[in-house]
Amino acid sequence: MNITLNDIHKSFGDTAVLTGVTLEVKGGEVLALVGENGAGKSTLTRVISGAYRPDSGQILIDDVPVSLKRPQDAMARGIRVIYQEFLQNIFPHLSVSENMFTLDEHASFGRLFVSKKRMAKKATELMARIGLHADPHALAETLSIGELQMLEIAKSMAHDTKLLILDEPTAALDEQESERLFAQVEAMRASGIAIIYISHRLEEVFALSDRIIVLRNGTVALEGATSTLTEREVVTAMVGKELGDFYPKESHGTEKVVLALAGLASGTHFQDVTLTVKAGEVLGIGGVMGCGKGSLLRSLFGLLPVTAGTVSVNGDIVSLGSPQTAMNAGIAYITPDRQAEGLLLQQSVAHNISLASLDEMSPTGVIKLRQERTKTRSIMDALNVKAASPEVAVGTLSGGNQQKVLFGRWVMTSPRILLMEEPTRGVDIGAKTEIYRIINEQAARGVAIILVSSDLPELVAMSDRVAVMRQGRVVAELTGDDKTQNRVLEYALESAA
Amino acid sequence: MKSTLLKTARELRAVWMLLIVSLILFIATPLFLTGPNLLNVLLATSVTALLAAGQTFVIIIGEIDLSVGAVLGISGAVTAITLQTQPLLVGLAVGLGVGALAGLINGLLVTFLRMPSFIATLGSTSVLAGLTLFITQGNPISVANEGFLAIGQSRPLDVPMPVWIVLAVVIIFGLLLARTRFGRYVYATGDNAEASRLSGIKVYRVKILAFVISGVLASIAGFILTARLGTAQPTAGTGLELAAIAAVIIGGTSLAGGRGALIGTFIGAILLGVIDNGLNLLNVSPFLQGVVKGFVILFAVFLDRNSDLIRGLWKMLSSLRPKRPSSQEPELASRH
Repeated sequence: MNITLNDIHKSFGDTAVLTGVTLEVKGGEVLALVGENGAGKSTLTRVISGAYRPDSGQILIDDVPVSLKRPQDAMARGIRVIYQEFLQNIFPHLSVSENMFTLDEHASFGRLFVSKKRMAKKATELMARIGLHADPHALAETLSIGELQMLEIAKSMAHDTKLLILDEPTAALDEQESERLFAQVEAMRASGIAIIYISHRLEEVFALSDRIIVLRNGTVALEGATSTLTEREVVTAMVGKELGDFYPKESHGTEKVVLALAGLASGTHFQDVTLTVKAGEVLGIGGVMGCGKGSLLRSLFGLLPVTAGTVSVNGDIVSLGSPQTAMNAGIAYITPDRQAEGLLLQQSVAHNISLASLDEMSPTGVIKLRQERTKTRSIMDALNVKAASPEVAVGTLSGGNQQKVLFGRWVMTSPRILLMEEPTRGVDIGAKTEIYRIINEQAARGVAIILVSSDLPELVAMSDRVAVMRQGRVVAELTGDDKTQNRVLEYALESAA
Repeated sequence: MKSTLLKTARELRAVWMLLIVSLILFIATPLFLTGPNLLNVLLATSVTALLAAGQTFVIIIGEIDLSVGAVLGISGAVTAITLQTQPLLVGLAVGLGVGALAGLINGLLVTFLRMPSFIATLGSTSVLAGLTLFITQGNPISVANEGFLAIGQSRPLDVPMPVWIVLAVVIIFGLLLARTRFGRYVYATGDNAEASRLSGIKVYRVKILAFVISGVLASIAGFILTARLGTAQPTAGTGLELAAIAAVIIGGTSLAGGRGALIGTFIGAILLGVIDNGLNLLNVSPFLQGVVKGFVILFAVFLDRNSDLIRGLWKMLSSLRPKRPSSQEPELASRH
């Protein structure tokens, strides 16, 4: 089966995610789809699988235009997707064979009662085809993540799949499981199935694919046979041109070391991290998802135990067992998910801002309301929080203003060290610039800042220095001319020469 | 200004219901709006109001305390037994201690042992009610201590002592909730416990303290009930937790946590008392009183959950009205 996409456009509200994507994939071919976060890969996948309907453009199967209105339409034509979040499709308390078939198919295993025996036999057969040997009667929750992913693939085999889309399939797999997956991909290609392989791991992409398409800002930035492309070309196409003036970076770095990590480790999350951050300096940390950058921040805020190494603040070794001890050491942490672990959505803007600073405003336990009002007002003015009044619930504000409220909470504590993770995620361009200004202001006050961001241009532009992590270790520290998006990506993806 | 009015509208919804019910009773019977009858309502409400005040803290943190009735029962019984040999202050201290301990245990079950509060406090209700029956051997325990009886029976300034106690509790604990750091942490924890923890709040401590407050106020309610009757009944308090929860919900506190106010709870408790009182004055069969109260509770929750629907219906109705003359005008014009 050949599937062709012709000039696909898709917007959400004012945000154009796909701006004219044209691509083709043939049976017996592995097409790799690469691009940065937000390039449009997931949206494109969902268009092909019928989960989203494109605003304009055509989808052709074997040169015949089709309309995929619902995921069922795509499935009926043999299109299957194994999403990165495939675990959501698993019923952990049902058996492996029950997970293998849909409810309709269950009914086909018997008239009145489902014959578990026949179902298990069929499931074993399908699993054996792809080299998975799991007990069909075992509960799905007893399988490893790798086995569950193989189960998902076996499931798709049960339905005569013609196009299989794999979205970051190795993100949760160990090396052995990955190898088995690669062998399976080869086997499926040989049997004439068309495969779209989405991954940010370039070595996999180059090893497996026949062709590569790079998406950037919703369009195809580069397309070519894998054998004719180099990793450097692909990386450059992914990153694109640098945005110049968008980042109002100022440098305020001094020579005074505020935060020093020596041989820091936390279980399997990260090991042997040795870094320093100086007053007024912004240290960026780059790396792919799961490289340990987020865990590092969480352990610095007392949320993950430190299993080896030391943390020093202003030269004194501190022990960080809880958020309270971290806050006492002058550390603030802006969490990546502002709604789930940042804001109190039903509470007012003022109460959200003062939350972490109430101790000093209530020496007797009773809050000095006038002091609270004055201080929250001045923070709102300084950070340009746009709200009808300090009394409105935070949940009613826009994403950018919510993020500024979260910044406000920690700016109010006058931290010595400010940790931030994905500070501009889901925020519009205007608010982004304002958040960069806040970062500059804090640096100007001598705050030592660690910026973790998966937005590469932002990471490189807003940091004075970028440390790159891979598999729990710091593999590079880039400064000056070396501090480029390409270099960060090369180290993060293990393709540095 | 406008936003603060809107914000309190939720908590003060009970006020409107109270005014409407009172107006109906005022029209229906001359006995209702008299000083002695109103004081009677407040006196009869006092036990529920105290239980509901503590419950408010627990519900705002996003939990529930089903054990308040049983805590009332056991602290009344323990206090009555202690007073047989000990002076007043010792009796009160023991009673409050039992309430605080019960709250502490509930809090520990819900936090460190990670039990859902519905189940944990259901279990402790059974334990406490059983213990009460055991220590009293199922017999009422009479109290002779004059000072203790005054808690329920004296009338300073011609107002029953329990009413003074309730007013004091509502003011003190209302301020605790609205004006202190602890109160702020109660709302924060109920709104988003994870975000609160990541802001340096000791979430477990806040939750445990909320349960302790609930236990202590339940034991004060136990004092009032025991002192009014002159005896501690072994089954006192059974079922009172439901009235308390109803008062909290009618008072506009969200069962999902993070929102609510003590004044709303107080008015919710009074509303329930007024309904009881009115049904008595109107000679409605006592067997039907539960039915009426049930409908009031359902109505309060209906208002809470469907405010958008109601606003929509209201808009629709008000937009229908001006249309009528405008749609008739062209007709009239065409006739001429």
